[in-house]
Amino acid sequence: MKRATLAVVILLALFALPMVASGYILYLANLLMVFVVLSLGLNILIGETGQFGLAHAAFYGIGIYTAVLLNNATGAPVLVTLLAGASLAALIGLVLGAISLRMRDIYLALSTFAFGEAVRWVFASWTPVTGGPNGLRINPSNLFGFKLVTDRDAYLLVLVVTLAFLLLTIQITRSRLGSAFRAVRESEIAAAAMGVNVRGVKIAAFALSAFYAGAAGGLFTTFSSFIHPESLGFMTTIMVLTMIVVGGLGSVVGAVGGALILGLFSELLRQLLSFQEIIYGAILMLCMMYAPRGLMGLLERKQAGR
Amino acid sequence: MTWELFLLFFQQSLMSGLVTGSIYALLALAMVMIFNTTDVPNFGQGEIFMVASYIALVLLVFASVPYLVMIPLTLAAVFFGGAIFQRLVLKRVALARGASVNLVIATLGLSYFLKGVMRQTGIAEVPRSFPALFPTDSVSIGMATATVQDFAILGLALAAMAAFFLFFHFTRTGRAMRAVGMNPRAAILVGVDIERMRWLVWGLSSAIAALAGILISPKLLMTADMGIVVILGFAAAIVGGFTSLPGAVVGGFVIGIVENMVGLFVSSKAIVVAPFLAIMLVLLLRPQGLLGGKATAKKV
Repeated sequence: MKRATLAVVILLALFALPMVASGYILYLANLLMVFVVLSLGLNILIGETGQFGLAHAAFYGIGIYTAVLLNNATGAPVLVTLLAGASLAALIGLVLGAISLRMRDIYLALSTFAFGEAVRWVFASWTPVTGGPNGLRINPSNLFGFKLVTDRDAYLLVLVVTLAFLLLTIQITRSRLGSAFRAVRESEIAAAAMGVNVRGVKIAAFALSAFYAGAAGGLFTTFSSFIHPESLGFMTTIMVLTMIVVGGLGSVVGAVGGALILGLFSELLRQLLSFQEIIYGAILMLCMMYAPRGLMGLLERKQAGR
Repeated sequence: MTWELFLLFFQQSLMSGLVTGSIYALLALAMVMIFNTTDVPNFGQGEIFMVASYIALVLLVFASVPYLVMIPLTLAAVFFGGAIFQRLVLKRVALARGASVNLVIATLGLSYFLKGVMRQTGIAEVPRSFPALFPTDSVSIGMATATVQDFAILGLALAAMAAFFLFFHFTRTGRAMRAVGMNPRAAILVGVDIERMRWLVWGLSSAIAALAGILISPKLLMTADMGIVVILGFAAAIVGGFTSLPGAVVGGFVIGIVENMVGLFVSSKAIVVAPFLAIMLVLLLRPQGLLGGKATAKKV
């Protein structure tokens, strides 16, 4: 009962935010929600299914470029461009998942890392399409004829889509598929013995996770005006990984919490690259030393102690 | 492309490939050592390499320490740095939760931490060049040209590899390290102090990365992001199978030569993406690497 009240209060506050907040706060809120969708997606792959895929930023970028190019070319409504980006990312994720089936652990991490860097190279080199190293201007996207120009315009859309993804994630984790994900994470052999289609589940996790990343990219285009391939590299994947690890791998609440806390950190420290790196590095090491299960692990331990 | 030009490019890429390849081989060797004994691919190696190069630079240029003192000082400092990281951080991480994912994330943390600290010192604010340790007069072999420095790099790297080969085969400590890599439990049973081996390996591996840094820095522009070179070491380790020390060396030379060939025959832009394509291709076609032996799956 208490939880439900809390959820309603938070929801009301989120929907009321544009009435009181300034443009910068709304920009920050939009950005944090993009991080939330990214984290939820990576959490499905790494946290739930235990597949160490490190190409998240590539799928995010595919979502961004697809949405931008489609918008520039056709002026299609934002939900169409967003879905197109997410679907293309999911399709490529499906292929990557299928060819990665033979690999696990470190080999999987390295090959997906290599894939991610290769995709970033494509973003940076395919100048006629992506603008290459000069980056690409993002035109305002349109929603049923309205142009989304400012952060304020985009906020409600970003909020609704993010909430939809949050609900979707909760549904998935409670479904058969969610159980199959966790079964594969704990032991592939045991999962197979229980009748889980291990290959199918792994591919599904890759595609689903890429779908989230692509959608996050689409959301990003609704309130940003510029994209540069530099920001779609391994550093971004690691940032999202940090979010879910600090939050607690395999926990939806952890993924959201981690995205909010670290997203805020990275935005506030953006001008101070060296501090950002030192703090990130220290958080990663300390968290692995003293809270290997993240903030959620700490919370659970506290509750169990009572 | 004429036959003449082809021959020139071929010989030149072979020559340059051997030189840079020897560095990749050292980096791959360092990576594989750590992976074998502590089960973690060291994502922080690039930054260990970077910090070591800066330590060498500071000693050499700012403190004007002579070469022969600078090299052992740098190697020793980095050896202890690596060993301390294993003792202080990784040991604790392994105790908290032994999953290899957690260890990997801790090394990623090290990587960012070191990069940030190096930026904070201000030394890395402007790109710097490392003074050449050896003359840079050029020498021709066949149609290819190289500098005296190139030969010195290749020679010293090969000497270091030979020293490690002897160490791993003929000393008690070296054999104990290999034993831990093969079967940690059996190694404990025959009386190997596994904890000691672990920090020793971290120290040694970091010192190898430092040596690679000192050797190659004169050919690079030094920035806080120079650790990116280590990706080629990763690629080399993968080509070699990731668990085999000779494989790492072979992989290093393969990657070095392929990289230079791509640069000369395809385009210099493609150089950047070549290692990633190499990693993916090898993992797809021969996941156990060139010298990795038969593919085996871990039992539950």
